[in-house]
Amino acid sequence: MNSKPTRTAKPALQTERWNRRRFVHALALSGAAAGCLPGARPGRAAAGTRPSGGPPSPRKVAIVCTEIRKYSHAEHFVDRCLEGYGWHGQHHYPPFELAGLYVDQFPEGDLARERSARFRVKLQPTIAQALTLGTSRLAVDGVMIIGEHGNYPRNEKGQTLYPRYRFFKEVVKVFEASGQAVPVFNDKHLATNWDECLEMVADSRRLGFPFLAGSSLPVTWRIPALELPHDTPLLESLCVCYGGVDSYDIHGLETAQCMSERRAGGETGVKSVHAVRGARVCDLLEEREPARRLMFAALARSHTCRPKPGYTFSMPDMAWVRANSDGYVGYFIEHRDGFRTTLLMLNGLVQDFTYAGLLRRSNTIVSCQMHLPMPPRLTTVADFFNPQFNNIEQMILTGSAPYPVERTLLTSGMTLSGVESLHRGQVLVETPELQVAYAAPRASTFWRA
Amino acid sequence: MSTPKSLKAIALVSDDFVLGGPAQALLDRFLIGYPRDGVFHRVEGCEVRVWTPPGQAEADLDRRRADHGLVRARSLEAAVSGADGLIVMAHPSGDRREPRWVKPALEAASGGAACFVYGILGSTLSQARDTQMLGILRQVSVLAGTELSVTWRLPEVDVPEEARLTEALIVVQGGFPRAELDGLAGLLPVVERRRHGELGVHRVRRIAGDRVWQAGDQGLWSWPLLAAALSRSDSPQGDSVKDGRTQYLVGLGLVPKLAREPRGWLIDHAGGLRSAILVLEGVVGDIDFAVRMVSGEIISAQLYRPPTPDHHEFSRLAAVVEEFFRTGHAPWPNRRALLTAGLLETFATMQTGTDELATPSLAFTPRIEGPK
Repeated sequence: MNSKPTRTAKPALQTERWNRRRFVHALALSGAAAGCLPGARPGRAAAGTRPSGGPPSPRKVAIVCTEIRKYSHAEHFVDRCLEGYGWHGQHHYPPFELAGLYVDQFPEGDLARERSARFRVKLQPTIAQALTLGTSRLAVDGVMIIGEHGNYPRNEKGQTLYPRYRFFKEVVKVFEASGQAVPVFNDKHLATNWDECLEMVADSRRLGFPFLAGSSLPVTWRIPALELPHDTPLLESLCVCYGGVDSYDIHGLETAQCMSERRAGGETGVKSVHAVRGARVCDLLEEREPARRLMFAALARSHTCRPKPGYTFSMPDMAWVRANSDGYVGYFIEHRDGFRTTLLMLNGLVQDFTYAGLLRRSNTIVSCQMHLPMPPRLTTVADFFNPQFNNIEQMILTGSAPYPVERTLLTSGMTLSGVESLHRGQVLVETPELQVAYAAPRASTFWRA
Repeated sequence: MSTPKSLKAIALVSDDFVLGGPAQALLDRFLIGYPRDGVFHRVEGCEVRVWTPPGQAEADLDRRRADHGLVRARSLEAAVSGADGLIVMAHPSGDRREPRWVKPALEAASGGAACFVYGILGSTLSQARDTQMLGILRQVSVLAGTELSVTWRLPEVDVPEEARLTEALIVVQGGFPRAELDGLAGLLPVVERRRHGELGVHRVRRIAGDRVWQAGDQGLWSWPLLAAALSRSDSPQGDSVKDGRTQYLVGLGLVPKLAREPRGWLIDHAGGLRSAILVLEGVVGDIDFAVRMVSGEIISAQLYRPPTPDHHEFSRLAAVVEEFFRTGHAPWPNRRALLTAGLLETFATMQTGTDELATPSLAFTPRIEGPK
């Protein structure tokens, strides 16, 4: 297959040192091993990987997605699969062959057809065919479900009914028919109602396949690179971010939860969720001194806090926070062990994701920014997907999910409960169904090399 | 070690005061505070003064006077006299003109003060040395640099102390000499940590146009290092701008195709290190570096510049400058500023067509100690 563009060779003077021709040739020979497997040394690189024609025995993967256009989530995943991405100081090509591609919609600006033609990846008419590749049984080694973006209806609660559950069930149907299952990744929260979320996780357990899901936020760069030790005596977590309900709330909740789950005793589940809008967010913060402290600590990690007129950055106080509160949404969450999580989507005040956590013993605060350099304003490629894609790679290569799907099961439940709380008139919602107890992995999987 | 002192007055001297410019970014952090190590930090009890030539951004400065008590000095001398800390803005001009306000500020400064020069100590090595000497005579501690030397690195890497380095490379963008200053401000703090520190530079070569790529093919700079540096970029140009795709810029041969009027500087350091500053407009939109250790291992990172208008790389710089003002101790070797001035002078000389220049005046002894 000669699907990747080739460079035009320029006359090169031969020397004993590396020249471009030798370098590119070496990359072609280097295959896919370096850097793509556990053990690649952080912050260092030997040579890059550029499989010319692909690695010797690539894993076949399928991507099942809603739409591929510039900056849609599926574009980020498909392009990292086909074009590679920067990883540990080199350009890394996943040892994958995108063998099956199912795309649900083809909007204006569609890139699915262009990618399909340039990389000779056939667009399959059904999910089953994307997984079976013209055979009668499962023919891929891993599946990515990217059910974000696209034109889908919204329900009375304001949820966009993305077809993640439907996609997942189609995948499961192939697994069942084949008597075989492979690792599955689901982008963002699992589904739009709790029973479906539970069923997806139950299916993965029943059929015994590794299941990874969620946001890129837990694994992106942290500024500074805050590592919360396992079993940290953490009292409370807070995320300040921006974005919409049933959209960016999952990112903010996962930002907090990837830290909270490392607390002493592990995760026990969630008891209640209370979501409010606008100035009521500030009212509740005024009543809750720890959350207020955490909010300012998180804001001190923000690089985008809205300045006052005539200035370029902000030293916010409560009056300034309140002055911008029209677009705010807050989720105030109590866990079953008394732990608290606060999600503040401070639309109009910030445009980044920051975290602060209150430690029990010293009453001190740890904080960082979860770096989300969003294109096109800040970058041209959404490289915060690199570590998420690499974790998917690890799962498909090793057959083990690097972090538990229970994290995303719980954050999906928090998201759904936040939506429900707002829908019912910003009332506190008891969540007895969110008894999701789990232990965080010892290793923190964020991007730091 | 002296006890850090409280700051009673800080003065900023600048040709201009533009919203979004470095003068405003630094002044406002001392005036209203800045986020530092996870808290909002204020320089309490400190009078902040500014002097600019008349007619500069009157409304913005008046606003700061009304909101935060900024003192607008009637003269440069009135601004700096008695100040514990001075910030003098000295942008490189690309010619031999001396930065306008550095010497007058030092001459008017009180003994025991500390002076941070944003940019360059001088447009020539000789000017920079004179400035340093004036600081010594006036008993004013002098430090020069920019935010690029102290901003976050993605990832948070550094050269291990005493490491042996063989090659270094940085990719920058922009016009001469600002891009070159960015390259030096980004790369020198990295490489000076190597074994024996920075011993100076004995030769500089200029490359431009297709000769940039030919030099890479000849091994005068390293394609693998460029690949490592660009792997840290999250702003590749070309088709990434068009449709968001990731691209292996080096491996696919895209760098020469994308680069507009490329130029570069090949620097031979005393002790054997070779470094390259590549000014590659149109390839990536960020600043990325890579260094190779004698073991063959490569360390690379992006020098992260946070979004506008906040420019919180200046919060990092303000923290360093504040500590400098409080302690009088320079956080990095002063000879970095001399080498920067000397190299920029050399580059400016070579801009007229010289391709290679020996630089005996830049071979410093004794060693320049890197910060720990």
